[in-house]
Amino acid sequence: MDLDAILDAAPGEIEGAGSLEKLDAVEAKLLGRRSFITEQRRTLGKLDAADRPAAGARLNDAARQLQELVAARRLVLEEQAEERLLEEDRVDVTAARRRIAMGTNHLITQTIDQIADIFAAIGYQIADGPEAETAWHNFDALNTPWWHPTRLESDTMYLDYGDPADEILLRTHTSTVQVRTMETEPPPIHIIAPGRCYRTDTFDATHSPVFHQFEGLAVAEGITFTDLKGTLAYFAREYFGSERVIKLIPHFFPFTEPSAEMHVSCFACDGSGCRVCSNSGWLEVLGCGMVDPNVFDAVGYDPKAVTGFAFGGGIERMAQARHGIEDIRHFFENDIRVNEQFV
Amino acid sequence: MRVSLRWLRDYVDLPMSDPREIGDLLAGLGHEVEGIETLEAPFSGVEVARVESIRPHPNADKIRLVTVDRGSGTQEVVCGAWNFEVGDLVVLASVGAVLPGDFKITAREIRGVVSQGMICSERELGFGDDHEGIMVLAGQYDVGRDLADYLELPDVVFDLSITPNRPDAMSMLGIARDVAAKLDLELREPVIDVTEVDPASTVRIEVRDSVGCPRFVAREVRGVTSGPSPMWMQARLRAAGVRPISNLVDATNYVMMELGHPTHVFDLDRLAGQRLIIHRAGPRDTLTTLDDVQRTLDPGDIVISDDDGIVSLAGIMGGGPTEVSDTTTRVLVEAANWNPPAILYSSKRHNLRSEASARFERGVDPNLSGRAAARVAQLLVQNAGGEAASGIVDAYPAPVEPETVEFPTAELARILGIEIQPELAAGMLRRLGMEVSGGDALLTVEVPTARPDLTRAVDLVEEVARLYGYDEIPETLPLGTGGGLKPVQRRARLLRSLLTGAGFMESNTLGFISGSDLDALGLPEDDPRRATVKVKNPLSEAEETLRSTLLPGLAKAASRNLSYGYGDVALFEIGRVFRHQPSPIDERIPHQPVHLAALLAGRVLTGITEAGRETDVFDLTALVEAMATRLGWRDVMLRQAVTPGLHPGRAADVVKAGIPIGIVGELHPSAVRRFGLTGRVAVLEVELEPLLAEPPWWELAPPSIYPPQKFDLAFEMEHDVPAAELLRVVEDTLGPTLESVRLFDEYHLGGARKSLAITIVIRAADHTMTDDEAQQLRLRVIEDVQAELNAKLRGE
Repeated sequence: MDLDAILDAAPGEIEGAGSLEKLDAVEAKLLGRRSFITEQRRTLGKLDAADRPAAGARLNDAARQLQELVAARRLVLEEQAEERLLEEDRVDVTAARRRIAMGTNHLITQTIDQIADIFAAIGYQIADGPEAETAWHNFDALNTPWWHPTRLESDTMYLDYGDPADEILLRTHTSTVQVRTMETEPPPIHIIAPGRCYRTDTFDATHSPVFHQFEGLAVAEGITFTDLKGTLAYFAREYFGSERVIKLIPHFFPFTEPSAEMHVSCFACDGSGCRVCSNSGWLEVLGCGMVDPNVFDAVGYDPKAVTGFAFGGGIERMAQARHGIEDIRHFFENDIRVNEQFV
Repeated sequence: MRVSLRWLRDYVDLPMSDPREIGDLLAGLGHEVEGIETLEAPFSGVEVARVESIRPHPNADKIRLVTVDRGSGTQEVVCGAWNFEVGDLVVLASVGAVLPGDFKITAREIRGVVSQGMICSERELGFGDDHEGIMVLAGQYDVGRDLADYLELPDVVFDLSITPNRPDAMSMLGIARDVAAKLDLELREPVIDVTEVDPASTVRIEVRDSVGCPRFVAREVRGVTSGPSPMWMQARLRAAGVRPISNLVDATNYVMMELGHPTHVFDLDRLAGQRLIIHRAGPRDTLTTLDDVQRTLDPGDIVISDDDGIVSLAGIMGGGPTEVSDTTTRVLVEAANWNPPAILYSSKRHNLRSEASARFERGVDPNLSGRAAARVAQLLVQNAGGEAASGIVDAYPAPVEPETVEFPTAELARILGIEIQPELAAGMLRRLGMEVSGGDALLTVEVPTARPDLTRAVDLVEEVARLYGYDEIPETLPLGTGGGLKPVQRRARLLRSLLTGAGFMESNTLGFISGSDLDALGLPEDDPRRATVKVKNPLSEAEETLRSTLLPGLAKAASRNLSYGYGDVALFEIGRVFRHQPSPIDERIPHQPVHLAALLAGRVLTGITEAGRETDVFDLTALVEAMATRLGWRDVMLRQAVTPGLHPGRAADVVKAGIPIGIVGELHPSAVRRFGLTGRVAVLEVELEPLLAEPPWWELAPPSIYPPQKFDLAFEMEHDVPAAELLRVVEDTLGPTLESVRLFDEYHLGGARKSLAITIVIRAADHTMTDDEAQQLRLRVIEDVQAELNAKLRGE
């Protein structure tokens, strides 16, 4: 056995080690406690002092060569081992195993929030009011005479509660919030009041005993019909898109004078006529008008001092237009296959 | 209201003919166009011809050869009908004509003779069913003229929705007046001219209720012969959506469409006592109306009687025996004015709506009754050959006078925001039939009684705006005086984002429940949620109660989803519930606080999930804690409680600052079954107001930079000591040194004992806590827990 023979044979042995365990064994044989090199080092002291440095250097040199070869081989083997591990760890990530549960706000809530935000941005506050109301708040204060057909039980749901003279009912529109707000706050008023309303309607594709409205009211000195038009045009652009235009068509409501219905150019066909707008090019969106002086009288405002406008529209209708919902029951049946689409 | 364009042109020379443009014009006047229908003749090349001569067919007995005069010449056709004679006016479809069904008329040989066309029956022309023989025209028709002209075809019909404030616009003339005023055109009113013949009528009218019947005009027409109306009148009635019946009835319907005043014709020979009495129905009165329904009348119903009893439900529908018929020769024309609310309520009560009631409930002009009666008489004379008797009865004790309205013209700018010259406004009002005097700052306007909707200056502002055109008014956008969400509204959105972020899906239920829903929940009679508010006129028994809790609605929604195959649901709803107690904002109305409810059923769908685990109460106690944390409340606790409707061992009150604000737990297994659900169903319902209120501002606790000490403890104690109490004692004992305490194990020992194991992390703010210090604190916790909870440390 001599060093040269070992050095000649070592690269082959090291490269031949196929695993980290085998490499450890080769390393022990070449560089371990019982290796030729270790034993030779131990006997260096027996050499002549003059020969010692050269012999020592030669052994160190050999040891370093061998260590480098082993280290290089180890690196290769470690990389291979890592690759094997990663290969074993492989999973198919294309199909999710887990999901982050995603709830949704109801489409009615979303629509209310959108409308509220549109008006909040131009200085409106969001107002609220009770759903069980007095007939005075729902009808009389809003200039609706005692004999008006909408007051019949065929239209309005009455409650078995309180003083019969108060005729407690489920509000048929959010216009009650106009009255509640003006009763408690002085002008100027700028509010948007979304909420639930009720009507004696049997539940079917186009009717629901419960529906939602949003009511707008602006009262101050100097408010005019041009302000009503401009405000509604702004709303139409914000909700239906910046290209939209509106037209107001004269109409009748007991609580506004002059009154109008707002039509918005159809967002689906841009006014040329399509299924969404029943080929008219326009969507009928809400009712509006200048607050009738009798309403101001009822709440104790001076109709000579202030003017105002009011408008009210259906939340379901707004959402139906945008999302192609033809059956109003989808809003209230809470089928999760429907509600999970309310993203 | 169906408006025929041809008919409209009788009264006003419309310069345009594009249906869409005319529709926009009508809509711009406030008459919403619900539909535009184009009417076309179902035939072409069909004309009026006169029978010149008739001779037998050389080769057949049942058919004849007829020579007709077409105006432009004569021709011979073969005809199989026998119901006409020489001189009659018939309808000829000659070669080149097309009949309904794309039936082209060609020269055709019939038994050896060539026929140059055919003489038509009504059915062959596509209207009516009369196929007894060919059509023989009675009345004035020009030979050679296109039959379509007499049928008023082609035409365009606008289906208008007339607003309830415009009784005057329920008529052709009313619409024409608006159009003429808008376009500044002349309005041609029909000429009403009746020659009266003596002897005077002896008919008597007795109005016993002049509130119900402010005016009653009656006049007699004698010597009429019942038969079909002229073709043009039938055509106009059809266009207006009214079925032609006879010249007697059609005259009344025509006048109703033309002037907007309903009228009625009685067979005067069938009126017992030759008089009519107008009164309110008695408590047990009945009437069999024309539709063959026997109706029990209400004391609010206005009726017309003769000496034998009630003959008509006023303003709505007549009864059978006194109606005109084929044999009628003497009619009584009634043009009465009825009290609008009375008609409205009667028609609603009897579920009988007619063209007449639709007009009376809006309010017909009482000053129109005389004209309407005259117009009917005129048409009867024209079309049924009668003569109008003198002696008109007019019971009109309190004639309605036109109202005068003071109109400060500054109101135009104040309301509309634009300048309109007073003269311009005055001109518009005049064109609408008003008398206007004064000028500049103040107009004095006399409003015709046909417009009861115009009583104030602001009403006149609307009239001016309508004619000026809403489209012409510019847009301005004023800003409100400070908007945005209030804190409580922002916090409601924050709460929603927590709920939706945690995987809950918002529901929106109708909100009506029934007693059986509360039974299903298992609520005892004295449960506060039984103090409900009921609907007087519910849609059904199942919807007779306003919800006092959101839970039945959610349970039913979950049940419906389960029936669709979706048993795993995480739902929430935010909405008002109703309590039979006064509201704090108005004592007249019931209390209606806003609640939040949540429901979990099936496998867990919240958080990051593999949907493997069944839900239980702890999913929702976690939600309570998360809500309290997100909304900034540290005083929200759970207090174990037995709550009706919930599993007795798996429920708690949600308590805030010591006051219960809601419940959380699992639905009682029997309630689960009654709602058609399965497994564990976790529910939560809390009142929102206390949670949405703004909490005190929180203060930062700076994190310690020193290492923690950690130790576990297990205690044995009575079964009914709440775990929350153990945690509270630890918190109280350790104070700010406590970093966290968590329950990590719980199990039942024998008897009424249990073991609770907790892990505690403590850390000092300003130094490294020594083992010795930690041991001291550990002993103090053990001591306090043992003392306060009657517990015993385990495993020592």
